[in-house]
Amino acid sequence: MSRPSSRSTWVVLIVAGLLALAAGWYFGRSGEAGHLPDPAGGKTLLGVSLPDLDGKDQALGQWKGKVLIVNFWATWCVPCREEMPEFVKLQKEFRDRGVQFVGIAVDDPAKVKQFAAELGLNYPALIGGYGAIELSRSLGNRVGALPYTLVLDRQGRISRAQLGPYKSADLRDIITQLLPKSG
Amino acid sequence: MKPPALRELKLRAKCAPDLVPAGLMHLLRMWTLPWALALLAPSAAAQQPKLLEPERAFAFSVQAVDESTVEARFAVANGYYLYREKLKFSVEPVALAAAPVLPPGQMKHDEFFGDVETYRGTVAIRLPLKGSPGGGSVTVKAESQGCADAGVCYPPQLQKVTVALPARGARPGEPVYATPPKKSWFN
Repeated sequence: MSRPSSRSTWVVLIVAGLLALAAGWYFGRSGEAGHLPDPAGGKTLLGVSLPDLDGKDQALGQWKGKVLIVNFWATWCVPCREEMPEFVKLQKEFRDRGVQFVGIAVDDPAKVKQFAAELGLNYPALIGGYGAIELSRSLGNRVGALPYTLVLDRQGRISRAQLGPYKSADLRDIITQLLPKSG
Repeated sequence: MKPPALRELKLRAKCAPDLVPAGLMHLLRMWTLPWALALLAPSAAAQQPKLLEPERAFAFSVQAVDESTVEARFAVANGYYLYREKLKFSVEPVALAAAPVLPPGQMKHDEFFGDVETYRGTVAIRLPLKGSPGGGSVTVKAESQGCADAGVCYPPQLQKVTVALPARGARPGEPVYATPPKKSWFN
């Protein structure tokens, strides 16, 4: 191999270097890039059982085969409360098409019950307590903040992870993509 | 001015593959293309804003002021805020001489919780100790809860700092951080 001695070589090298630096800066800044949790984490999630508002244990595995949207939230989290009416609408719209929303509340049952009633929650609210933060961290929620939402495909793999509220239109697109094409 | 420069550049670009060994060129393409694509693609980066760990978003430190007073301090990162009414302090092994006086916060209107007071930037709270643990040290525990403007909230956080108390008349101690500040080129 001949020596890379020409000026062009250096130009290319410098450009590549700058690009790498820019990339480093960009990812350093955005931080979470590529931090989609391991899709296989869906298996962990589907193996979880948590009590519902009646204190009855509910296994998330019962919704396997559906497009499953798992939302970690709390009543003390304003952005969580703000996005939930959209979940209620989407749940209503897609219920008959194999889409299931599930909320995991980092909260105590009394407050969740009250808010669920106010909102007219039409999907299960499970009580996770603070332990649910650790569960969400193990599933890609790096800083343990809320809301954190995972979308599982019909094969039970994690397809999307979102920290912070979903735009309703974005979530609708994702759900639609994961559903079988209807005639 | 412009046309010759442009032509030269084009010419150089055209020549480049011949001047650079083919293997190296291939290597460069292999490396730069994914990076360039990564920079352009919205990818997962768009889904998750860069967020700080709670202990860095709400950096807690304590400084001993004198033999029976400590000052607790939160350095709230830009773009984050703490709820005033969620702040709670306790000390060990001595008790607090009086309930801590929390400075007024900034009013924030919340559609669910009404008007709430929040802290941004730095907030310092003096904690008077009931007596002094005789030249010893005191552990301050703080519970706090806050959110980021990016649209996420953190669960209540417990942070703990132990400071040595100065002898009567001695100089105040240095601030002690619950989580040492991180230094980085890019932050």
